[in-house]
Amino acid sequence: MKRKIASILLCLAIYGLAACGAPAGQAGERAEGGAAEDSIICYVGHTFWDSSLDPVKGAFSYGWGFTNNALLKVQPDSSYVGDLADSWEISEDARTYTFKLKEGISFHDGSAFTAEDVVFTYETVKEEQGNNEKVDLSRMSAIEAVDEHTVRITLSEPYSPFLDATAALGIVPKSSYDSRAFDEMPIGTGPWKAVQYDPGQQLIVEANEGYYDGAAKIRRVTFVNMDNEAAFSNARSGQMDIVMVQPAYAAEEIKGMHIEKLETMDVRNISLPCRPEQTMENARGEAVEVGNSATSDIAVREALNIGIDREQIIEDAFNGVGMPAYGFTSNLEWGNAPVMEDKRAEEAKKILEEAGWTDEDGDGVREKSGVRCAFEVYTPSDEKDRYQLAVATAQSAKELGIEITVKETTWDEITKASYRAGVVWGFGQFDPSVLHQLFSSDTFLTTEYGNTAGYENAQVDALMGEALLTDDHGEAVAKWKEAQEIYANDIPYLYLVNIEHCYLIKDNVDISVETQIPHPHGHGLPIICNMKDWTIR
Amino acid sequence: MRCRRHGGLTANTRVRVAVYIAASALYVLGILVWGLKMPESAYGVDYSMKLMAPGAGHIFGTDFMGRDMLCRCVKGLSTSISIAALAAGVSSVIALAAGIAAAVSGGKTDSFINWCIDLCMGIPHLILLILISFMLGRGTTGVTVAVALTHWPELARVVRAEVLQIRSAPYVQAAYKMGRTKGQVAWGHMIPHVLPVWMVGVVLLFPHAIMHEASITFLGFGLPAEEPAIGVILSESMQYISTGKWWLALFPGLLLLAAVMLFDVIGENLKKLMDPGSAQE
Repeated sequence: MKRKIASILLCLAIYGLAACGAPAGQAGERAEGGAAEDSIICYVGHTFWDSSLDPVKGAFSYGWGFTNNALLKVQPDSSYVGDLADSWEISEDARTYTFKLKEGISFHDGSAFTAEDVVFTYETVKEEQGNNEKVDLSRMSAIEAVDEHTVRITLSEPYSPFLDATAALGIVPKSSYDSRAFDEMPIGTGPWKAVQYDPGQQLIVEANEGYYDGAAKIRRVTFVNMDNEAAFSNARSGQMDIVMVQPAYAAEEIKGMHIEKLETMDVRNISLPCRPEQTMENARGEAVEVGNSATSDIAVREALNIGIDREQIIEDAFNGVGMPAYGFTSNLEWGNAPVMEDKRAEEAKKILEEAGWTDEDGDGVREKSGVRCAFEVYTPSDEKDRYQLAVATAQSAKELGIEITVKETTWDEITKASYRAGVVWGFGQFDPSVLHQLFSSDTFLTTEYGNTAGYENAQVDALMGEALLTDDHGEAVAKWKEAQEIYANDIPYLYLVNIEHCYLIKDNVDISVETQIPHPHGHGLPIICNMKDWTIR
Repeated sequence: MRCRRHGGLTANTRVRVAVYIAASALYVLGILVWGLKMPESAYGVDYSMKLMAPGAGHIFGTDFMGRDMLCRCVKGLSTSISIAALAAGVSSVIALAAGIAAAVSGGKTDSFINWCIDLCMGIPHLILLILISFMLGRGTTGVTVAVALTHWPELARVVRAEVLQIRSAPYVQAAYKMGRTKGQVAWGHMIPHVLPVWMVGVVLLFPHAIMHEASITFLGFGLPAEEPAIGVILSESMQYISTGKWWLALFPGLLLLAAVMLFDVIGENLKKLMDPGSAQE
């Protein structure tokens, strides 16, 4: 009998494990004053607790200010304007950047913001580049304060995406910077002051009264940490004002709240290895299996690109949340997706047949000289939405006679398999250097996550090289766009969806959708990009 | 009040016990065979049938990909039972060998085996499973090896205690005196003696092995998500429980619970048949 009871208990424990996923410090225990009329409680994922809040270590490198401001900031149309910088100039050799700083700005602790703080921040990041993978200053050779409000940065070689870095790096005060304290309570010039940080539980920020661009209207915001399911339940019981939710919840109705689907620049795609099957050596001299017999045929890639039904895939995988994508989004200044239509199954089948892919044995999958038109697609096990996207795509591809087997595993395993199989990737950032990472023949087998498709096109390589070196922002954008036009014909990546970030929002909270910038990769945090403009009705 | 008639079971009890065993075995074997023979298409993706509540056609409902939950559960449970069978097989052989070796040899061998048992039992079982599975790269291999290699200590102890009991029995001593080697005595006298206890132990290993496989899969260290497994199904269902999709968790849980408890029924009743003295406990 004891054993019987034990097994029942063990069974119940499984349910229990799941049910109490939420850590201590649930929204139930409202922070002091949290219930006041001018304060809100939000759940925006785990970023606050997963990594440091110190900009020097890469925190808030999204192009908008939170506790700290950067020299530039991103506009809703993804162009840059000055934030702490008033104006900037780039020399003709594209190696010297001169920033004129705004005057009369002070940090939360009252000290004045000057060029010295900028120099200090940049030098600290450069010295400890290993701690900051978000802002790459390796090409910066010197930075100096010309006068109290002018900074000059010199690069070792021309590199046009450097401007993106200046929008990503928040400035910290030289006088009071403390690496350890800033992990939890950074001091900056930003619209928000951190007032309380409980590791793994909550972060409370208050509006900075003296913010140079006008103080925020909401006085106090509490960010709580919990898991997605617990956050949803708390939203349902009316305890939360903003809750990030997965597309699976998008159709749920909660009294007093509405769903907001926010635009992102995050596109999901599946890499399609372009090379025939072979063994190659990577940068560390290890043998790597690369290439794929099915996807190395341009006919297969072409057929997938035009034959699948993206809208149906989005409906199936994401409850219809998201937009069909054919390339990088148009909300990026440099994004250039081909204008095309999909769901042309008949045309796709014709392409496959002309290329010799026919279904001889009648199993629903085409073959060509003994090779099955089949490949694997890998997805990370901690991201269910990518798995669902891959399965829905596989369903759509099945109708064309192409078999996609979806595998779910760890990133370690995915990286190993990525050169011979498809991977569901998600990319979305302001910095166009991502194109170089994905399509340059240089990054194949040398950079992790870089060009795993093994794509090689001399023309694309040349254009991207020119884009990186130019001093003219407009010219760089034009070259990036041209490169995308060319690789679009070769389809090394099968673009599927431009996702939308879903949030449940209390009906009396206005998150000022018109001043939201398109969200970069990473569901959760980006909604607070314009928190300064939010109001409670 | 130990026993009513000659220390044995009444004919009625004997029949009842046999019926229990047969019914339980039928359920468990039925699930196993049904699952093993099931084609992949039975639980294939069908988006037009997304998240259907239990009803005609899908008595367990469907999940977020429109897969039939009954078929997924049966397939998953049958995978669990297969892994448990392998685990019980490996663990019981280790347990028998270790238990007898420890008791028969005594001395250093005994200390060493006891030390191994203590080592394994000293670490919380779930942690040990996760460590082994993680070390082997998770997936089917990881979880199978982990479950197979960690279920022997308790049974080894039981076997050892049984053997210790009869080691000094006159007929065993006589066998030694007549020149039998330790190996011959172990084979000829010890194994036949511990076999009934050992067999009950093996059957009772099953529920533990099944639960442990489901648990570490649920926690993400076991079977990969693309395979139907009870642990995977339960962990997926967590996302949907708060939106009221109760059937995604309830039915798989019940099936699992039933399988585990029926193995227990088989084990307990086998014990009654083989060791009548314990029948009235």
